[in-house]
Amino acid sequence: MRLIQGHGRYASDWNMAGQLFAAVLRSPHAAARIVRIDTAAALNAPGVRAVLTHADAEQAGFKSIVGGVALKDRNGQPMKKPHYPVLAKDQVAYVGQAVAFVVAESATAAQDATELIEVEYEEQPAVVEFADAVAPGAPRVHQDIEGNVAYVHEHGDAAAVEAAFARAHRTTRLKVDSQRLVCNPMEPRACLAAFDAATGRYTLHAPSQGLIGARTHIEQITGLPAKDVDLIVEDVGGSFGIRGTPYPEYFMAMLAARTLGKPVKWVGSRSDTFLSDYHGRALALCGEVALDETGRFLAFRWTDEINLGAYAGPFGAFIGTQNVSITSHGVYAVPAVYVRSTLAYTNTTPISAYRGAGRPDIAYAIERLVDQAAFEHGFDPLELRRRNFITPAQMPFKTATGPTYDSGDFPAVMEHALKASDWAGFPARRKESEARGRLRGIGLASYLEAAGAGTFNKDQTAARVGDDGRITIFCMAGGSGQGHETTFVGVFADELGVEQGVIEYRASDLAAADLIGNGTGGSRTAAGQGSAFKALARALIEKARPLASALLGGEADYADGRFSAGGKSVGLIDLARKMARGADGRHPLDCEAEASSPATFPNGCHVAEVEIDPDTGVTDIIRYTSIDDLGNVLQPMLVEGQVHGGVAQGWGQVFGEHAVYDRESGQFLTASFMDYAMPRADWLKGTFTRESHPVPTATNLMGAKGVGESGCSGSLPALMNALMSAVRPLGVKDLQMPVTPVVMWRTLNQTARKAA
Amino acid sequence: MTKIAFTINGKQVSSDVEGRTLLVDLIRDELKLTGTHVGCDTSQCGCCTIQLDGDMVKSCAMLAAQADGANIVTIEGLADGDKLHAVQQAFTECHGLQCGFCTPGMIMASVGILKANPNPSDEEIVKGLEGNLCRCTGYVNIIKSVKRAAELMKV
Ligand code: FES
Ligand code: FES
Repeated sequence: MRLIQGHGRYASDWNMAGQLFAAVLRSPHAAARIVRIDTAAALNAPGVRAVLTHADAEQAGFKSIVGGVALKDRNGQPMKKPHYPVLAKDQVAYVGQAVAFVVAESATAAQDATELIEVEYEEQPAVVEFADAVAPGAPRVHQDIEGNVAYVHEHGDAAAVEAAFARAHRTTRLKVDSQRLVCNPMEPRACLAAFDAATGRYTLHAPSQGLIGARTHIEQITGLPAKDVDLIVEDVGGSFGIRGTPYPEYFMAMLAARTLGKPVKWVGSRSDTFLSDYHGRALALCGEVALDETGRFLAFRWTDEINLGAYAGPFGAFIGTQNVSITSHGVYAVPAVYVRSTLAYTNTTPISAYRGAGRPDIAYAIERLVDQAAFEHGFDPLELRRRNFITPAQMPFKTATGPTYDSGDFPAVMEHALKASDWAGFPARRKESEARGRLRGIGLASYLEAAGAGTFNKDQTAARVGDDGRITIFCMAGGSGQGHETTFVGVFADELGVEQGVIEYRASDLAAADLIGNGTGGSRTAAGQGSAFKALARALIEKARPLASALLGGEADYADGRFSAGGKSVGLIDLARKMARGADGRHPLDCEAEASSPATFPNGCHVAEVEIDPDTGVTDIIRYTSIDDLGNVLQPMLVEGQVHGGVAQGWGQVFGEHAVYDRESGQFLTASFMDYAMPRADWLKGTFTRESHPVPTATNLMGAKGVGESGCSGSLPALMNALMSAVRPLGVKDLQMPVTPVVMWRTLNQTARKAA
Repeated sequence: MTKIAFTINGKQVSSDVEGRTLLVDLIRDELKLTGTHVGCDTSQCGCCTIQLDGDMVKSCAMLAAQADGANIVTIEGLADGDKLHAVQQAFTECHGLQCGFCTPGMIMASVGILKANPNPSDEEIVKGLEGNLCRCTGYVNIIKSVKRAAELMKV
């Protein structure tokens, strides 16, 4: 309601009396030594209060920006992580790296003053592509990291895979790119920081996905105890993974607020988003499959190239390691799997988690590989899948190298999708398109995801009862469009059997309840926090039961929001209203609960049907079908919206989005909406069918599997397989994302010329 | 500094503005109507869409000084007291928003589409939303919302 009337409060909507304004000076170079920074002229400019550089950050004791978990390879070698200063110290390693932070009386004064800062740079050669970075004699992104390789990740059994390939009847190999993307939530980053000298506490408004994670990072980087920072987040304009951890501007605003004794506000522009929000994807996966004579898969081998960017971003290293490994079997019973990922530094913006963070990438690679194998060895692509699916009878299924899938019916989900998309009627539709001079293709993907493994192994929730009997519930997940408000209130009210109107939800209000829990991420919120709210409702009932029994004069039963005993009854809310608060201010029914929810495996089958105009290279999506097993779905409408959004993002990656750097200079060439093709309202020309095929999981109280990334994981392979199906008959051997109209047009023309 | 006066959401206001001040900054920073959002710096996203003298315009693409004498409606002024505008109603019903950041602009653009054409086809809606970006919804439910609003406005 608030949001449709313009009453949302996003980070840049907050203001405080007497606030000052900040602007950031960013590196214009991809690689350079900083010889000297002279801030005198900027400091003298009208209205300027402070010009902060690395020296100030260092003096304040700021440490390196945190680069994820500590990884060790099979030889015990730790991942090489360069120091990532909050403001650049003696070198800049990518275009857009923050160099100085100016604070002034107005935003324009701050912005103008950035131009007066004199930085003397000594330019160095840059490398922006993975292949260039790992080539012999490549320039070093960091002097102490030879060869630019941060880490080599291995997963699975190399020898078993080797043996399977040795006895294989046939093999297929396909390398696919999952190109670098800019995540681009619609809200540019912003923050407002204040310091209260009397209490020593900071207030910080910033767009954040989850408060505990963000506060932990703040503590690790600035050394300020998390308890001294009130991070207040009301609305977040999209996050998709990259807004889970704090950014340099937030620390600098806090520092400036303390030094200057005034609140400091920074509002980033879209250019700031492009240059300095962590980027997504930026990996290439080379898959090989070994098959026996009947088409059964004997082994998968993955060789991955991960472009980390200039530093280890908070989740950068997860993507090419844990996340591409955990679902590297897909939905197939593959006896042997081996994954080897090489993570390299380049002179580009660091990457972090973006919508699925490696999971859509591996789903894409698997499903293209399977189609390619079918094509190369003369199998029907559906038949090849049927032959290799893990069957429901095999559940729970322990994969060769990784997790145990708890539930799922992959064959039935595919049959459902074939029916819903009228797969059988495709040849006739293709004929009809051909008659109009168009190329028509259909593609399918059976994807599997891993969701719900958070950093904390449990989620906590709390209920606080008001004097009027209304109940406010709390948890730690920050919302940014997933509709938590509605979902959690619904779960809690349903379990209690009371009207939703008496329940109010407050996310992440640390002052009211000190809870641990995961931020929103890995599409885990429904299963994790949902289960914790269900547990909370049960705890509340048990807390109320003895009080109700005493009131009613007998052991009370609970149903539909009421306790009853011996013909008498009392409503839960009425009971709550009757109770007096204790001396400590707590209501007798105030309670806390927690639930631990292991990883779940959402899966599904997407079918895309496309039509290409060979004269222009423009592709239209004629119909899109998504059949998903997300377990029990709490709010069908919200889940549907998440899938739509994910599929549109997948469409963006397939047809247009690409963060491009100049290979020589390392300049970022697509740093605005003019050069970077975002999906617009016209992306879908035809119909979108979405149906659920739930196979509930028993591993959490909700039976839910999570949804957030399934749209991307299904759409990348389904769309690309559809494109390949349209152009293969013409002799096209390969397509790589993004397939813009120009790329399509050129591919068709080159193939035709070769054939002639 | 130029002195300008205009009407916004039915209220008369006047202000001293610098030549380079953008209309959107005046609306957000000075008038504190923060429902109008800024999503880009190249006039591509439509988050800042407002109604000015009956037309839908991107308030980031106009100088404040150009608004002298104008009649402006922003998202905050769209509802009639407690009664939501049909487009707001439809966005709520059809789940036409997720994070809500693009929503004020989407709603204002949709009001414009329906004003020019009370019975738009899917294609016409898509065309009308050309200048508005959304990263969350895939637009599917936004298009649904505009159609629903068209129905609501008929009764
Ligand atoms: S702010 Fe993006 S178009 Fe106006
Ligand atoms: S709802 Fe988030 S950008 Fe549209």
